[in-house]
Amino acid sequence: MAVNEEALMWVEKYRPKNLNEVVDLHDIVESLKAFMKNPKTMPHLMFAGIPGTGKTTLALCIAHELFGPTWKNFTLELNASDERGIDTVRERVKDFSRYSRSGFGNVPFALIILDECDQMTGPAQTALRRIMETSSRTSRFILICNQSSKIIEPIQSRCAIFRFSKLDKQAMKEQLQCIAKKEKVNLLPEAAERIVDYSEGDLRHAINALQTAAAYGGVVDEKTVSVVVGEASPMQVQKMIRKALFGDFIEARKTMYEIMGSYGFSGSEIIRQVQREIFKMSDLTPEQKADLSNVIGEYDYRLTQGANSDIQLSALLAQFAKFGKAIGETY
Amino acid sequence: MSNDLLWVEKYRPKKIEDIVGNEEAKAALIEWLKNKRRSKKAVLLYGPPGVGKTALVNAASKGFGFSIIEMNASDSRSEKAINEVAKPATSYVALDNFSSANKGKGNLLFLDEVDGIAGNEDRGGVGAIIKIVEEARVPVIMAANDPDIDKLRPLKKVCLLIRFHQIRIPLIIALLQKICLLEHVKAEFEALERIAQNSKGDVRSAINDLQSLAEENHALILQDTMALTSRNKDISMDDTLRGFFSTKSVTEASSLLSRSNVDYDEFIMSVGDNLPRRYSDPEELAAAYDFVSQADVFRGRIGTENWHLLKYFFNALSRASAVAPESYKPFELISPPIRIITLFWTKGKRTMLDGICGKIGAQCHVSHSIAKHDFVPFIKIILQNTKSSSLIPWFKFTPEEVDFLLKMNRY
Repeated sequence: MAVNEEALMWVEKYRPKNLNEVVDLHDIVESLKAFMKNPKTMPHLMFAGIPGTGKTTLALCIAHELFGPTWKNFTLELNASDERGIDTVRERVKDFSRYSRSGFGNVPFALIILDECDQMTGPAQTALRRIMETSSRTSRFILICNQSSKIIEPIQSRCAIFRFSKLDKQAMKEQLQCIAKKEKVNLLPEAAERIVDYSEGDLRHAINALQTAAAYGGVVDEKTVSVVVGEASPMQVQKMIRKALFGDFIEARKTMYEIMGSYGFSGSEIIRQVQREIFKMSDLTPEQKADLSNVIGEYDYRLTQGANSDIQLSALLAQFAKFGKAIGETY
Repeated sequence: MSNDLLWVEKYRPKKIEDIVGNEEAKAALIEWLKNKRRSKKAVLLYGPPGVGKTALVNAASKGFGFSIIEMNASDSRSEKAINEVAKPATSYVALDNFSSANKGKGNLLFLDEVDGIAGNEDRGGVGAIIKIVEEARVPVIMAANDPDIDKLRPLKKVCLLIRFHQIRIPLIIALLQKICLLEHVKAEFEALERIAQNSKGDVRSAINDLQSLAEENHALILQDTMALTSRNKDISMDDTLRGFFSTKSVTEASSLLSRSNVDYDEFIMSVGDNLPRRYSDPEELAAAYDFVSQADVFRGRIGTENWHLLKYFFNALSRASAVAPESYKPFELISPPIRIITLFWTKGKRTMLDGICGKIGAQCHVSHSIAKHDFVPFIKIILQNTKSSSLIPWFKFTPEEVDFLLKMNRY
């Protein structure tokens, strides 16, 4: 594992720089290594999988392998969810391929890493497909997404698709211990276990949690981890849910607007957190959780169809209030 | 020709047919006046100003041969005053009608602007009116702008309610054209159109504006109308909301929406804000919000071009107003929309957080969204524990950004 002396977030500091340093993901790494032997044969790639499983890391490894230390000159990193629209993406790709079209050494193309592609709308993806076609002589794309099913067929058929599954718990624990050792942090095995459970196969999240726990100083034990987990969990979202379930709809809705306003969260981000928090609530029975989950699912769908996410969220909170009233005696 | 006359007076409708718009309301009042065995002895006409409520009462009573005894906002409304003027008028068929040439039907009591009854001065006013209505042997007509004021609630029980709407723009334009013709004013169509639009459906204000702009030169071009200040802008949204929540049926609400010229997106937000005030029962609230949610889905499908779907939007939204008609109680409206206010006040915070997430994204190869969820909460705790963390220069955080992170509420 190489150590980047400058990087101070551990996720960056201990991010593998080339494919040999990647410890897990053997099958994917082997296929990618085959492409590296003769880069001309490398097709467009698509990396699909849940967050924190190494998609961006492998994309950056490829950039390092292809272009060496000057990789930044030949690599364009874009994030579909941050760019203003497909026109911005098109302009940036166009500009970039104009300046870097000569490629590097025996690599006849530049690399474009486009993250969170599944956030793009259908029309935007169609436009992206066109961009991939027109720039295919000078550029290779690595498309990164959570769900490949959200990517239109014509794009999928132009890419070699690699699926990233949840990381193995044991491998994650080893990674955490390895980092702890290098940072001279005493990480107790139970604490590592707790972090891994909490992170649900997301290594980035796990490493961030470890670094945060280490910032308290001293031994990282289960108690420290619990404090971090509590402190970093979405308190406002919990507050909103509780208020709604207790029938204080107006206050719940006010909290919703605070979350949207102060943090700029989108409706779908909030609804995802709501879903997650509901399942963490220990005072609801599994049946009640399942009932609520059905309701959340309905409004999550309407959110994608509708025009105003705050209306759909308000409607969801109203359903929560009704639900809270129905189970009033027991809740 | 008398030049010193206000055009609104000069062209006040003399016959029922002269009144523009509100055909349903006209028909309802005529029906009520014609009927000798009225189920309710009084009517309450309500709607925005300048749409012809008073004009209709005057024209209709003339048409049916009633003599009007009128009280309006400028008169005192104490119980005593009302009894003095109104009671004799309602109790006896007027003597002077015997000698009059027309086949007089007797008196008609008209109380204009009853929503103007206010405070101590008019103490007992509403009670006295109700008493009069109950004892009256002649028809009683009342008019109001806002039927939802609490103190008028008792009145609504004893009255037949007839609702008036804003007059549609084309009708106002046609009326203005007619007046221009009679006054020998040469007016550009665009200018009249602008006056009409600016009036927000208020005929009286439109005629007043026309007179003030055109009387002197007998000519009017679009340029002249630029000085007009917008009329009733806020009233229009509030009126629509108030009307929306007080409707008795889905059809009524739907037709109100299709007539109103409020901004639909702002309107649906305001409906959302006001629903909790309208429905206190969680089940009713959830049902109503579900309809608003469906309306919003239609709004999404309309997008910017499928405006033919608007009727489905109206229908879904209207159902939210009629979840429990029997539980309707007037309430104080919330406006402007909470979202707009919240977004305005929190803009600084959002921009700050966006900047921070951009810096995290640049260093750690993640999107703003992941930076917000998976980095900000952790970095905040790290900074709290190690005040002069070397992360600050690494991320290139400014002192303001560090301060913001430290003070930030957990989401």
